[in-house]
Amino acid sequence: MSSLKNLLHARWMSSLVFLILLFLITGLADPNFLTYTNVINCFNTATMYTLLAIGIAFVIMTGEIDVSIGATLGLTAAMTGLIAQQGGSIGRMLVVCVLAGAAVGLVNGVGVAFFGVPSLIFTLGTNGVIRGLIYIVTDGRTVENFGGDIAVYGNKVLFAEITLYYALAVVLVAIAHLVLTHTKKGRYFIAVGDNLDGARLVGISVFRVKLLAYVLCGIFAGIAGYVFASKYRQVMTVAGNGYEMTAIAACVLGGISLSGGLGNMVGAAIGAVIMSSISRLLVFIGLPSDFNNTITGVMLIIIVVVDALTQRRSIEMTRRKRLLSRTAGTGTEGGKG
Amino acid sequence: MNAVKKLLRRWETFLILFLILEFVVFGSANPKFLRPASIMTSIVNYISVCIIALFVTLVMITGGIDIQAASIIGLTSIIEGVLWSDAGMNIWVAVVIAAIAAAACGALSGFFVAYCGVQPMVVTLGGSFLYSGLALLVSGMSATPAYQGISGFPSKVGKTFVDFRFLGKGELFGIPMQIVIYVVLILLCAWILHRTKYGERLYLIGVNQQAAEYSGINTRLVIMSTYVLSAVSAALAGTLLTSNMNSAKYNHGSGYTLAIITAVVLGGTLNTGGKGSIFGTVLASLIICILRYGLPLCFGVSTQNLDLPVGIILVLVVLGREIAGRHLISQLMRRFRKNAA
Repeated sequence: MSSLKNLLHARWMSSLVFLILLFLITGLADPNFLTYTNVINCFNTATMYTLLAIGIAFVIMTGEIDVSIGATLGLTAAMTGLIAQQGGSIGRMLVVCVLAGAAVGLVNGVGVAFFGVPSLIFTLGTNGVIRGLIYIVTDGRTVENFGGDIAVYGNKVLFAEITLYYALAVVLVAIAHLVLTHTKKGRYFIAVGDNLDGARLVGISVFRVKLLAYVLCGIFAGIAGYVFASKYRQVMTVAGNGYEMTAIAACVLGGISLSGGLGNMVGAAIGAVIMSSISRLLVFIGLPSDFNNTITGVMLIIIVVVDALTQRRSIEMTRRKRLLSRTAGTGTEGGKG
Repeated sequence: MNAVKKLLRRWETFLILFLILEFVVFGSANPKFLRPASIMTSIVNYISVCIIALFVTLVMITGGIDIQAASIIGLTSIIEGVLWSDAGMNIWVAVVIAAIAAAACGALSGFFVAYCGVQPMVVTLGGSFLYSGLALLVSGMSATPAYQGISGFPSKVGKTFVDFRFLGKGELFGIPMQIVIYVVLILLCAWILHRTKYGERLYLIGVNQQAAEYSGINTRLVIMSTYVLSAVSAALAGTLLTSNMNSAKYNHGSGYTLAIITAVVLGGTLNTGGKGSIFGTVLASLIICILRYGLPLCFGVSTQNLDLPVGIILVLVVLGREIAGRHLISQLMRRFRKNAA
């Protein structure tokens, strides 16, 4: 019973409810939407954002931010394309993507965790550097005309209309979620974001946790770059521009607090689905896709404002309860918010 | 002696040295670099970022951040275009209405930040989606296709007070009008931040909002007002851009977000608030302008690939400051704590 209650109170539940509501409203506007294919397609198109969102979720949970993931995605997508043009194997592409992503993450992690540079500033800098590297790697040209295995896998359906890539992304989400919630090391991420000094006091190496968070974030962005190349088979030099903002928005929609220490991976994954399906839903509702950004913005603002207000209210309620219990002299604590 | 030491420790001194270094290196590499007209053009090309960075500095000093300003550039530009070409209004009326709309956008985000306690980054992230989306919708009201942009603004209308294109294309004593406006704004901003009570309050709020609140400052209103100011500056930037390019488009300035933040933080403003100066932001903006102008001219760097040097400099500079300044900052913190106690 109490586990059910916990489930209902989990922050990601509200984003799931929100997603279902979105689907239902769209279904009311146009019953044709509510077919299996349409709903599954909403999930399938979210593959890239899902990968980016769970990657950056690690970083956000530790209380930092990373705005270089869009550029990292562009870089690894371009690298994937170049390897594909030379007829390289998929294994090689993935290794290169993961290594490049990890390298970016390592640089970010060292800058932020070791040197203590504010994360927004440092990752802004690396964002510029990586954008520049993309030009160097591609000579400023669009990478296109590559085929081979990578093109075959791009939209390959695994089973029941679920694409191979989305299935793999779901597996990664599940692993990330389990690691975060069920292993000791995984809980460190939240601990560091929730209370930095406290985490230090109990002997957690904050440097190592943050470094690991950035490396993971880079790796996920790298894999997302591979997916990008495989899916679109055309990588422009500006590929991934602005994706970091969408990924951050997905995390926020999924109930991850930008000040760290709150939220989980399932929420991030659901947020990614919401972010990427809005344009599809608009088509069914009958609004032109011009409304895409407006709706996204309104939604984002409403959700965070409501969240902030309810949080503030719950804090005040706890405080009042505590005060009441103290003045009553019974000495019982008022419970935790 | 002590004064010299103090001066050397100031971040702005370093920025000035860096700027001089840029002039020396670029100037010796290619004498063409030193033509004043081209240098001014390089600033004009980047004027939106320069102007908005001034006011985002105010936001960041209070401990906030504004990543929506870039989308307001496009919104004001297209509002002006639609009101002028499709609604047939006088262009100056359109400019005023666009500025009011921008102020409303800033006030909305500022309200959520200040009165609802939402993180500024999230609100302005939502704002950047919302306002760029609104810009596209406004653009849809026009008879002109969105990708084309509304052009043909009045340039030589005898009856109007000043013609609209003069803002972006005109010159005053040989200096581009945009730079004149920029200089006026620098002075205005420096006065607001360093010479008025309002500016003092911004710093106080950035250092400790609670303490500021207890000392009788209406912190929420002050915080909200910084977002309004930065939005209005974005409206001005949008107007200048429209006037200069003779085209009103919904996606003007769409890529400027990170550039603006870069200029502010390179200028020495802490994104945690409480520290920063207008002078620093101006110097940082100029450094970036000169870099973007000098590198292609003198060293043949592709104009598309200017993110790399700017990024490298930002990374190196903040790293260097962090390593060199760790000692200093801890000292400052101690002093602040002492003062607060």
